[in-house]
Amino acid sequence: MAFLKGINNHGNLPYPGHALAADQDDLTDENTILIQRTLRSGQIVRYDGNIVVLGDVNPGAEISATGNIIVMGALRGVVHAGAGGDENAIVLAFRLQPTQLRISNHITRPPDNEAIETDHPEMARIRDGVVTIEVFQATAERQVRA
Amino acid sequence: MGEVIVVTSGKGGVGKTTTTANIGAGLASMGKKVVLVDADIGLRNLDVVLGLENRIVYDIVDVTSGNCRLRQALIKDKRLEGLHLLPAAQTKDKTAVSPDQMRELCTELKKDFDYIIIDCPAGIEQGFRNAVAGADKAIVVTTPEVSAVRDADRIIGLLEAAELRDPKLIINRIRPKMVRQGDMMSIDDIIDILAVDLIGIIPEDDMIVITTNRGEPVVLDLGSRSGLAYRNINRRILGEDVPLMSIEEDGFFRRLRKIIGLS
Repeated sequence: MAFLKGINNHGNLPYPGHALAADQDDLTDENTILIQRTLRSGQIVRYDGNIVVLGDVNPGAEISATGNIIVMGALRGVVHAGAGGDENAIVLAFRLQPTQLRISNHITRPPDNEAIETDHPEMARIRDGVVTIEVFQATAERQVRA
Repeated sequence: MGEVIVVTSGKGGVGKTTTTANIGAGLASMGKKVVLVDADIGLRNLDVVLGLENRIVYDIVDVTSGNCRLRQALIKDKRLEGLHLLPAAQTKDKTAVSPDQMRELCTELKKDFDYIIIDCPAGIEQGFRNAVAGADKAIVVTTPEVSAVRDADRIIGLLEAAELRDPKLIINRIRPKMVRQGDMMSIDDIIDILAVDLIGIIPEDDMIVITTNRGEPVVLDLGSRSGLAYRNINRRILGEDVPLMSIEEDGFFRRLRKIIGLS
């Protein structure tokens, strides 16, 4: 978890070892839940904090967090990160194919009549007031928050 | 001690009743003692599919409300020795039975039968809750349509909530030609979303309509592909390891034509 929180707290993604050693107090004020199953149609998760899903989010399921959302699987349902108005929230998934993707008060959906096949992790965030989706690269130099 | 299996789907019209009838008839023809329970109170039709409508005297509501003894309501099948039916009531609705009563009923039936197969009504309301209340295992039926798969996904979630884990999946009404052309969801597409174990696939087959209207389960028809598909499913239920049949239409005849040089 320290790894993920590190994304939000520091400009640079620290090496995992550093994150733990550096400032544990800094990390504990962030709320994160881990969902260790697939969310199926009709199931809704709302949380004040970050959400990590070990599984898929299927079409018809909804996931909403005031913080970041990370799905270690296919994200095919409706997702809302930064639901409390946090413009810096991100959505990250191994296969980012949401029905609808919301960050803060921005609402986006994939283009009609275009099947999107993704085979690598992608991340959605707001850049210059627009929701952008980019290939996720877990390098130490990557800037997550400007 | 018998095993209670509920056949469910969420969406209507995907083949729950047909599947229930064919699993029941198939297992009975393999020498098992089977009872089929029609939990679709108010819209009973498992009796019609089995051709037993004219034998009904008492129904499931008569049993749970104490109007008759369980044994009196059970109808013996006209063809198969080990097959029995507990019909639904036609004049009541789903609230006429409670989940507790269903649980009690299943416990009672388990004493006398190897398999109790419950035909669940469509929907997720009380009828569904009744049907799954006493079940040990679940079979989810779906068709290769986005709406049916979506509902199956919802049902699998509800089954998990009801402590029925690892349901088995049947994909019904597959049309190989459409799958090949990319016009229909493939088996892989469906498994990708639902992520449960597949226990069988059933090709679209006119014989299903013909046999259903005649009141004779297709599983007993040795010439049809859908009958073979159901026989394979039944063998898997009994624990045999049977490979999935190829979904290609007339695979055998095509090969035969190739051999004799017609295509």
